[in-house]
Amino acid sequence: MTGVYESPKPRINASMLAQYIGRPVSFVGRLEKVHPSGKALTLSDGEGKSASVELNDPLDEELSGIVEVIGMVSNKGTIMAVSYTQYREDKISFDLELYNEGLKVLHDFPQHYPFEVSLSG
Amino acid sequence: MRLLRAQCVVRMSVTRTTVALHSKYGEASTGGYTQSPGGFGSPAASQGGDKKGRSRAQQIVPCTVSQLMSAVQAEDVFKVGEVEIAQVTIVGVIRNTDKSTINIQYKVDDMTAAPMDVKQWIDTEDMGVDNSVIPPGSYVKVSGNLRSFQNNRSLVAFSVRVLEDMNEVTSHMLEVVNAHMQQSKPQSMMGGGAGTNMMPTAHASMSSTGSYSGASMMLVNGLSANQNQVLSLIKSCHEPQGISMQDLKQKLSSMSVTVIRQIVDFLSNEGHIFSTIDEDHFRSTDNEA
Repeated sequence: MTGVYESPKPRINASMLAQYIGRPVSFVGRLEKVHPSGKALTLSDGEGKSASVELNDPLDEELSGIVEVIGMVSNKGTIMAVSYTQYREDKISFDLELYNEGLKVLHDFPQHYPFEVSLSG
Repeated sequence: MRLLRAQCVVRMSVTRTTVALHSKYGEASTGGYTQSPGGFGSPAASQGGDKKGRSRAQQIVPCTVSQLMSAVQAEDVFKVGEVEIAQVTIVGVIRNTDKSTINIQYKVDDMTAAPMDVKQWIDTEDMGVDNSVIPPGSYVKVSGNLRSFQNNRSLVAFSVRVLEDMNEVTSHMLEVVNAHMQQSKPQSMMGGGAGTNMMPTAHASMSSTGSYSGASMMLVNGLSANQNQVLSLIKSCHEPQGISMQDLKQKLSSMSVTVIRQIVDFLSNEGHIFSTIDEDHFRSTDNEA
């Protein structure tokens, strides 16, 4: 699924998952649960809603706090993640609620924050 | 006597400096050039200006990789919609690194497009600059110049800084939208003055290159251009039950139902309109003769 890296990956929250089925997305949320197998996670977004994430390979490290995953949204609304990035909070904590508000602004003004490249001249 | 004279001279020079400073920074400027604080205005430095083409776009503009890739190039000027860009900032995560003796090349992913090529020259003599490679998975803010070479767009960075506060991701998102909205107005606006020319919202083409200039940040009566347009339509209807959502949709073909609904909700909350026979009919609270 290397296509995901090269594609635009709209930033979404849990409420938007249904609209992005079959498309690559990036999702930032707080780690709530890790499945014992290490291959599935539950993240909560800035509105407190949850998203399920499935990983290709089991986690080989301790994850906590804020995690960003990128991947395709499955028919069931879960994110099939191809990679994850931990947001550092060693110096300053991340305001997830504010990020959620920012995310809504992006979607309100797609003309000023395009998640696509338009080929011109 | 000599002391007094000396004091006068000092006082005069202080005053002169103060006046000069005031006119330079546009506080009470009567004819000096105004320069908006924060370096966001184009430096109208000397009389006559530097005519060498590069004098115009001297602002550093927060952008997305998608905007940089979509920018239209005319000779050596890049434009995103109506915004001219040269120096830009992007915020993204490093996916790839490649170091040589003379430069470090990164691929930075900000989720809006494929990761962007970023090149940072290594200054071997400048010991003050940290030339160690930043590892993949790190979020960075890149400041640099957009370049195009053989149809390949890249950034030549003068700064690649690791983010210590991840809230900069959020602030960059907002700064990008803000910068491109503000600058979609005519270039003659400096310092963000409100209400000089009202941008017509009629031709709101939602093209993805960002040339849409409708939803500007200018407020007239405390309302945006879109909000004013909806309100005027509602005011213009003199039926007792008011104007219907249907009519609004028909007359405002450039606005989506969602946007109209949002605006109507806002106007209602602010007390400009009220609903009548049902949720889809509105009248203005102002009694227009």
